[in-house]
Amino acid sequence: METLTIKENISDVLKSILGHNNFEMHDELTAKDVDGWDSLSHMMIITKIEEAFNIKFKLRDLNKLKNMGSLVSVIQSKI
Amino acid sequence: MVFNSFNFVGFIIPILIVYWIFFKKSKVSQNILLLVSSLVFYAWADWRFLILLLISILLNYYLGKKISNTTNETIQRHFLYIGLIFNIGLLLYFKYFNFFYEGFVEILNVFGASASYNTLSILLPLGISFFSFQTLGYLIDIYNEETEPSNNLLEFSVFVSYFPKILSGPIERASKMMPQIQEKRNFTYPVFVDGLRQILWGLFAKIVIAENCAAIANPIFNDYGNQSGSVLLLGTFFYAIQLYADFSGYSNMAIGISKLFGIQLMRNFSTPFFSTNISDFWRKWHISLTTWMMDYVFTPLSFSLRSYQKKGLIISIIATFVLVGFWHGANWTFVFYGLLHGIYFIPLVYSGKMNTSEIVAKGKLLPSFVELIKMILLFILIMLTDVFFRTHNVSEAFDYIFLIFSNNIFSIPTEIFSSNYLITTALLFLFIAVEWLHREKSHDFEISHYPFILRWICYIVLYLLILIFGKSAETFIYFQF
Repeated sequence: METLTIKENISDVLKSILGHNNFEMHDELTAKDVDGWDSLSHMMIITKIEEAFNIKFKLRDLNKLKNMGSLVSVIQSKI
Repeated sequence: MVFNSFNFVGFIIPILIVYWIFFKKSKVSQNILLLVSSLVFYAWADWRFLILLLISILLNYYLGKKISNTTNETIQRHFLYIGLIFNIGLLLYFKYFNFFYEGFVEILNVFGASASYNTLSILLPLGISFFSFQTLGYLIDIYNEETEPSNNLLEFSVFVSYFPKILSGPIERASKMMPQIQEKRNFTYPVFVDGLRQILWGLFAKIVIAENCAAIANPIFNDYGNQSGSVLLLGTFFYAIQLYADFSGYSNMAIGISKLFGIQLMRNFSTPFFSTNISDFWRKWHISLTTWMMDYVFTPLSFSLRSYQKKGLIISIIATFVLVGFWHGANWTFVFYGLLHGIYFIPLVYSGKMNTSEIVAKGKLLPSFVELIKMILLFILIMLTDVFFRTHNVSEAFDYIFLIFSNNIFSIPTEIFSSNYLITTALLFLFIAVEWLHREKSHDFEISHYPFILRWICYIVLYLLILIFGKSAETFIYFQF
């Protein structure tokens, strides 16, 4: 899947969980930069992403997520 | 040897002189000095467990290297399990053995077996809840490839035993603290002075605020059966402040002392009572413990329960908080304390307002009316829950709370006109005002931006208040954990 499509899908997931899209998608974007994306909403976002791409994360994958770029590459490695 | 003792002053001054004058050029000698001082400090507190601390250091050091030396996930996991069993085992044995043993015998009795028991008299090694959590986090981080293992036993030993934090935290993380130990520390005047400032504020919080509040709260809790509801309510109020001032004061002293050696420890309290919801409060209260629990308990748990959506989230939150409570000690009161806090999160999960954490009234002098009401209501909730933290058993806590609401809650207690109430209340106003003014700063007494004269007025006033109203205190509430 194209990186751009993946990002678009992630953006939709964020919008549906957080209820806003006040963020700009780029590789350096981190959870801290996005309103409401914290350790508690994180799991809901992860679950939605798993559904959207039909993949399964491992706990270790999550620990490696540092920013949007790493999220996209983890997703890419799984589809 | 508590921080607020002359023994400690006599202990630390020679170390500081040697550290900054004779050892300023060598990282190794700085670390040797810190290690020797830390071991002496620990032995001073309780020499019998020095061996245990040394074994813990050696084993965790060895396991850390073993986990990272192989790429085979199964072998990595086996070494991690050995570490988990050792560190959690220490805690279970020393802290929780009798609790589970009694429970086990009582269950046997319920099923008709007439078992009797003699609980073992196990002494609790000081600081064990803090240093075993730190080494646990270290091993898990290496397993998760979040941090590199230490290849230097001296540096690792300092990381575990460093005396400003070994007895009562903050619970440090390798990724933040190890790099500081791996470099030579250079003396910087502003950091040193900031450390002294933080120590002064911690001292004020502990021996003026916490001890004066304790002097009011203790007699009320010790004789709660004969008090009116309004007095009991006052007791919970002063206890809640005591608990906060005691532990945040301790933490400020620990962080300040560490700054004197050029090592930055993590912030442990960030004006928690200036919060508008429970999740906000827990982001600011005992931060080194709550972030630890977040990373190593809540995250894995909520990950494995993620398919249950909000229900999974709630179960994870409640389980995490029960554990937070239980961490404080082997007593059902702490379990209840954690359970209640977990339950308070439920409305937030369903309203989706979990994520609002910010500095109240940022950039403004005063909070809005709504913010003020929210802060007060949250404080009342926390203050009532703290009764479980203070009483000896759960039924006593329920009794206490029941009596508040059933026994003349609206009567005006005559005690409030006595001089110690009035003085303590006046001191509290000062305490709260200073914390409010610095809620956006890196610590509660960060006044480096004040003009010179004003800074010195603050120091002198605090010093005088400590001299006049300070009460000597032999221990801290959190030493028992």
